[in-house]
Amino acid sequence: MRITIHSARWAVSPWQSGAPFYWSFMNKLRQEWFSNIRSDLLAGLVVALALIPEAIAFSIIAGVDPRVGLYASFCIAVVIAFAGGRPGMISAATGAMALLMVTLVKEHGLEYLFAATILTGILQIIAGWIRLGELMRFVSRSVVTGFVNALAILIFMAQLPELIDVPYAVYVMAAAGLGIIYGLPFITRVVPSPLVAIVLLTAVSIYFGIDVRTVGDMGDLPSTLPVFLIPDIPLNLETLEIIFPYAVTLMVVGLLESLMTATIVDDLTDTTSNKSRECMGQGVANIASGFLGGMAGCAMIGQSVINVKSGGRGRLSTLSAGIFLLLLLLFFSDWVRQIPMAALVAVMIMVSIGTFNWDSIRSLRTHPPSSSVVMVVTVAVTVSTHDLAQGVLSGVLLSGFFFAQKVGRILVIRSQSENEGRVRTYTVLGQVFFASADRFAQSFDFKEVIDTVRIDVSRAHFWDITAVSALDKVVLKFRREGADVEVIGLNEASATMVDRFGLHDKDGAEDLLLPQ
Amino acid sequence: MKQPKKVLACVDQSPYADYVADYSAWVAQKFNLPLELLHIIDRHQETATSDDHSGAIGFDAQENLLNRLAEEEGERTRATREQGRIFLNDLKKRCEHHQGLSVDVRQRYGQLLETLDEQQQDVALYVLGRRGKSADQSQRDLGRHVESISRKIRRPILTVANTFAEPKNVLVAYDGKRMTRKCVSLLAGNAALTDLPVHVVMSGKQNGEADKHLEWASSTLAKSGFEVETAYLPGDPEQQIPQAIADREIDMLVMGAYSRSPLKSLFLGSKTNELLRASKVPTVTVHL
Repeated sequence: MRITIHSARWAVSPWQSGAPFYWSFMNKLRQEWFSNIRSDLLAGLVVALALIPEAIAFSIIAGVDPRVGLYASFCIAVVIAFAGGRPGMISAATGAMALLMVTLVKEHGLEYLFAATILTGILQIIAGWIRLGELMRFVSRSVVTGFVNALAILIFMAQLPELIDVPYAVYVMAAAGLGIIYGLPFITRVVPSPLVAIVLLTAVSIYFGIDVRTVGDMGDLPSTLPVFLIPDIPLNLETLEIIFPYAVTLMVVGLLESLMTATIVDDLTDTTSNKSRECMGQGVANIASGFLGGMAGCAMIGQSVINVKSGGRGRLSTLSAGIFLLLLLLFFSDWVRQIPMAALVAVMIMVSIGTFNWDSIRSLRTHPPSSSVVMVVTVAVTVSTHDLAQGVLSGVLLSGFFFAQKVGRILVIRSQSENEGRVRTYTVLGQVFFASADRFAQSFDFKEVIDTVRIDVSRAHFWDITAVSALDKVVLKFRREGADVEVIGLNEASATMVDRFGLHDKDGAEDLLLPQ
Repeated sequence: MKQPKKVLACVDQSPYADYVADYSAWVAQKFNLPLELLHIIDRHQETATSDDHSGAIGFDAQENLLNRLAEEEGERTRATREQGRIFLNDLKKRCEHHQGLSVDVRQRYGQLLETLDEQQQDVALYVLGRRGKSADQSQRDLGRHVESISRKIRRPILTVANTFAEPKNVLVAYDGKRMTRKCVSLLAGNAALTDLPVHVVMSGKQNGEADKHLEWASSTLAKSGFEVETAYLPGDPEQQIPQAIADREIDMLVMGAYSRSPLKSLFLGSKTNELLRASKVPTVTVHL
């Protein structure tokens, strides 16, 4: 008996609850980090090789030394490997972010960029905390397509300065580079074709002593590991005023591209990701980048696709990409310096081709015009402002507008005279809100000579104040004509106006969507 | 414990599967429980291999990759599905030699641990092979899943080796602590097993309590109609218990499992693992 009593007490030993948690944690750790070691490392290497030219190119876009983008890519990749919510996704310095910093760097200098990067990180952590990522559901497919297309166009356009007013040799080299990058995978997929292009072009330009611009001409490359530094800026409101607008846009664009990329990787690998953790992870990565002399970054669509394509699935692929990147730079910086810009341009043109959604051009004709317009407007606004946030905002607003317009069409008003022409009953079916309120008001015949008007709205939805005031106006007008007005079912109809509705589905509401 | 429902035999396509099936059929018949043969297809979505190191993205890179991956995975899954079905049906035939045994087969996608965990409610006893498909490639003499499963699953688990002999007796490795006392109570609660003589063996450092503990075990079991024999073997349990198994020609070992936390066993080692490694007989581990 004594023993049974004891066992009852011991039955709640801490390990009973602790061990399974610990065990599932270990299991998760193994699954996310160490279940795909060989492929992850190989993919990490491929990605690192592809990251170097991109990070350099994006630094040039932002108007900073290549060092800044390379440090950023290293920091962000390493940190996000631990902190991110989407294993196997690659984050680093990106074009989308670089485009947003141009003015800040030009007007205020590098130190302000670091500060803005840190602030971006803080804002992203907050955004992750309050689950701002859920707003992504308002970003329609057309807007996403517009986003990537605009990004591709901007990356392409950023290469143009390197191709305008340059020696003839540059065109030859860029074309040769493009040829190698595009053609080599048809022959062999063992070595990264961009690497081959870069190595060959560099070798040729050194051997023949061709006088073209090289990466070294664009500014400093990393020569040491990044060091911790606090941005040298006055800590006051004025500074905040300068960096805050940049940080907000950077936060928005960074999260947008990261969440889009996460969805792409989710689809590619048929697995799920933790979007809130990804938002916060991006924030942590940017804070680290800012303190280590890097610029703000986010997830990269192209690189993540390359990673998955090369077999990268786990967090190790991201981590190794970052580490290889820095190692390669430290060992080969003298060679990296001599890479002709033409080779870099070729790589980036290919990146922009890979980023662009070519299918969206082919389907322009088959998709509904409204979604094509949304896509095109997103692209147009982005390209003209160089700001993806504005492009996306216009796209989202426009798709909301189109949606309202379409739903507004779901409104049918029928009428029938009763009681030997003394009474007319209007039956309203469908959605009444700001976009359809006018049509609602116009559907009544106020000139009819009638005793009583009955308006049955029990099978309609009144979504907002505009709808109710439109009804008020209709009632008033009939009264002015001397008719009695009865409104039937207004309570049911206006139940949708309560902001927290949800289950006010009425009988027959679904057949409103069917042709009547 | 919720209503136990079935004996769940976890099989993979390794030679161990046959013995897992044999033992689970024996157990299921003994307890008169339905038997389910479960084959888990882990699609290993966290892993990938690729020969493509081109690092190049061209026109429609993302769409092409998505289509390619979907196609590859679909093909792989279809192949494994069919293969698994045939394999399971062969095993089912093997089990159906036993009279009046209801055998069901099931294939599930997922990871081993999660899938087994989800089933806990409906399972009375799990049966595993002590090693699995990767046994030939790895040098381990105990499969890597055994410990993680045993720690997670709060049901008795029968771990079998690659022979089958109908058990004629049982040895309980006993230390008087909570987990092994549960083993004894569990055994005592199963009238279906009373035809197996039980040896309760205690080992380890000499302490005054040993007799009292053994007496409790023996009386508990005897009360339920078991034929009990107790022994105290001073010395190292990892050596003494296997020795006792050999000396007494024991067919089945019952023991409490993993009372040490994973962290502790990282430093001190796990007695359970050592015993599982050392004993060549099928073992029921109890970690409730």
